[in-house]
Amino acid sequence: MAADTGGDFPTIIGPDANFKGELRFEKAVKHLGRFEGTIESKGRLLVAEGASLSGDVKAETIDVQGEVKGNLHATGKVCLTSTAKLEGDLHTARLEVNEGAVFVGRCVVGANGARPTQESKPAAETKPAVDTRPQADQGRDRAAVGGKR
Amino acid sequence: MLKRQASTSDGGRTVHCTHCGRAQEVARRAMSVFCVHCTQRLIIEDYTITSYHATRMFATCGDIVVEKSGFVSAPIRVRQLTVRGRVQGNVEARGCVRIDRTGQFRGDIVAPRLVVADGAQLNGYLRIAPSSAGDRMEERAP
Repeated sequence: MAADTGGDFPTIIGPDANFKGELRFEKAVKHLGRFEGTIESKGRLLVAEGASLSGDVKAETIDVQGEVKGNLHATGKVCLTSTAKLEGDLHTARLEVNEGAVFVGRCVVGANGARPTQESKPAAETKPAVDTRPQADQGRDRAAVGGKR
Repeated sequence: MLKRQASTSDGGRTVHCTHCGRAQEVARRAMSVFCVHCTQRLIIEDYTITSYHATRMFATCGDIVVEKSGFVSAPIRVRQLTVRGRVQGNVEARGCVRIDRTGQFRGDIVAPRLVVADGAQLNGYLRIAPSSAGDRMEERAP
């Protein structure tokens, strides 16, 4: 009898599985259980609804329907469906967010997002992307750093 | 060019103050009012941006659409925002922020809902969770 391969996914981490460690794969993984650790792949990762993942992920395509706490780095596309909850930084070439998804973290989408980055800082420590304070305050900071203008 | 449009809903309507976040009823044809809670002036029109627009604060209780030819450089407080052009600035929205495939956004977003189309460019810190922007505005209320 042929094993159930779950359609496009040759590997499935079942709903009763509790996995800790480092996972590497080539093609695609459908994750239905709990995972703590890092994932590196050139393929596709699907975090299904009800599943949870804690840790950093590098893959080509990442689909999130469940809960993820950690940084995602995708060379291709990240898709957050309406049931997705993502807490962490996101770097990707293309992003699709559906209504209802929850996302808290830093986000770089586009050509810059797909490039490999240095170790990213926690989201709370990073500066805002745009300094929208009044110019007087910005000038005060520059003066404090040193140097006449 | 900045085009202003009257909001299209019928009868009186409820708007939330862009300063204190509290709700109030306004007339259908009203274009601006003073908040009954914090007395700040509120713009309640919808905007369509088709050219460069830079300001210290771009706040409206209505919606903003930045068209493909539009470029907004300002912090924005709005009900719903649609980006087809470029936006540079932090956004607090009470409703949905949509970034179309031609949209380029640089800044932080606090909103209950975000829709990003395939091909859009986005760079910033995002807090997308139900009623997150409303909570922040109400925290500022005197």
